[in-house]
Amino acid sequence: MIRDITIGQYFPGNSYLHKLDPRAKIVITFIYIVALFLCKNFFSLLLLLTVSVAAVLISRISFRVILKGMKMILLIILFTAVLQVFYNDKGTVLWQPFPRWDFVITDSGVFSAIFLSVRIVALILFSSLLTYTTSPTMLTDAIERLLSPLKHLHVNVHALSMMMTIALRFIPTLIEELNIIISAQKARGADLDSGSLTKRAKALIPIFVPLFVSAFRRAYELAFAMECRCYNGDNGRTRMKVMKLCLRDYLGLLASIALTAAVIVTSYLDLGSLFLFESVI
Amino acid sequence: MALLQTNSISFGYSHGTPFEITALDHVSFSVDKGETVAVIGHTGSGKSTLMQMLNGLLKPESGAVLMEDRDIHADKQQTRQIRFRVGLCFQYPEYQLFEETCFKDISFGPKNMGLSEEEIRQRVLQAAKIVGLPEELLEKSPFDLSGGQKRRCAIAGVMAMQPEVLILDEPTAGLDPRGRDAVFAMIRSYQRQTNAAVVIVTHSMEDAAQFADRIVVMSHGRLVLDGTADEIFSSAEELMNMGLNVPASTRLVNELRSLGYDLPRNVYTAQAAAEEIASCLRRSRP
Ligand SMILES: Nc1ncnc2c1ncn2[C@@H]1O[C@H](COP(=O)(O)OP(=O)(O)O)[C@@H](O)[C@H]1O
Ligand SMILES: [Mg+2]
Repeated sequence: MIRDITIGQYFPGNSYLHKLDPRAKIVITFIYIVALFLCKNFFSLLLLLTVSVAAVLISRISFRVILKGMKMILLIILFTAVLQVFYNDKGTVLWQPFPRWDFVITDSGVFSAIFLSVRIVALILFSSLLTYTTSPTMLTDAIERLLSPLKHLHVNVHALSMMMTIALRFIPTLIEELNIIISAQKARGADLDSGSLTKRAKALIPIFVPLFVSAFRRAYELAFAMECRCYNGDNGRTRMKVMKLCLRDYLGLLASIALTAAVIVTSYLDLGSLFLFESVI
Repeated sequence: MALLQTNSISFGYSHGTPFEITALDHVSFSVDKGETVAVIGHTGSGKSTLMQMLNGLLKPESGAVLMEDRDIHADKQQTRQIRFRVGLCFQYPEYQLFEETCFKDISFGPKNMGLSEEEIRQRVLQAAKIVGLPEELLEKSPFDLSGGQKRRCAIAGVMAMQPEVLILDEPTAGLDPRGRDAVFAMIRSYQRQTNAAVVIVTHSMEDAAQFADRIVVMSHGRLVLDGTADEIFSSAEELMNMGLNVPASTRLVNELRSLGYDLPRNVYTAQAAAEEIASCLRRSRP
């Protein structure tokens, strides 16, 4: 169950998206998200969803993997969509399941629920590609570069990005360790999934105490190892890999800006009856 | 009828991701009452996965795990009971200690079995005695113990359930030779008192040869060799190809024999090698 959550995981590869400069990728993702929130009608939403799907195809990461990672989130989206249907009572009534209560399903409610769901799916599809195709070290390195202007405001950007690198690096390790601890306590008869709420909460103690102990042990060992290698922040530190934007990065950025422009044009300019669906949000 | 056996089980991790891997490939393994089996194989050969099959923590994708000829996954309630009969001690078990005192930690298993206070007390004391944990340490926090003592405490936690099959996954990993001997002594002592079957995963050929009645060799998720130490180490070449070594003393004696010395084939321990070489020298002296 917890093993199936792949969001944040990195799948090594050699596609266009893998090769893209991570800084460009972050900016493109950001622009895409902005476009997603600017979009107001089904036409532009469909455009954005198509771009998401195309991006997945380009990344050569199988849809099965991505869908598996999204399973939990799809449940939440479904739940949100159902709420949205019932919450919205504008527009024409399609169905009134309980005539006694003023509890109706309207066309506008259904539309907004679909719109919202598709929007979130597109958002997750696209943004999860960022971590799927970028190794954590590259990602934090890029974030450090992008935030480097903040250094002038005396923000310790390097320390922040180092913390992030370490956190990202240790998530899989800790999940693996968590799984082992769960198995080990189950082997001693721990019963994790039955009984009352307090009983279940109590059953977590044998899991989390060892996990915390081990996390602290690892932190201590890591700090020690870093000190042994004379780590002292970014004072006088040079880089092994110098990032350089090249043509494909500019192309990617250009494409994302063009996409945003297209979304704005279709969403905000009155293009008459070109589009079947009117704005629903 | 074997006490515990697997019938051609297969299992893989991370299906549907690029990291998909077959950890077990049609493995048939069995262990009888009172028997000691050593499982050896290089890292990643599927030893730990097989051990988690034996007590029902993992469920095979094909094949079955049978205890006294009954499928352990036949019904859910029973699967949990199996874990008390087949005790599994994970690798580096000291990282799983969590209670305030050693006594409480060792009693975690027996408590989950639903035993009475008195019975739990008895079992904890008995297990502590087997692993050589002095009684005054039982009221101390397990986190204050030394590394070796923590390991003892953790092993006692499994022994206190008094399983009929005791499985230990690399119980000597990271211990010095004395600590290693101590662990083997504990397991022997447990076995004498309960006549339990013991399955032990190890990297050390010497330990396997010295300690086990039977040796099982795993490679790439398959069980490739199964037999007595004599049978296993006679196929030294095959073992080398799998990235495993025959015991150093066996290698030495083999080299000497190829140089023309009159030495036997079945020498697996430094002790035996020393004795054989000494007696060979005595014989060759006029
Ligand atoms: N929880 C897990 N998730 C994914 N792969 C795993 C997991 N546990 C083990 N594996 C993989 O299964 C194979 C067998 O592992 P394991 O049974 O631990 O071998 P051994 O104990 O002999 O070193 C290895 O390739 C390992 O990487
Ligand atoms: Mg292992």
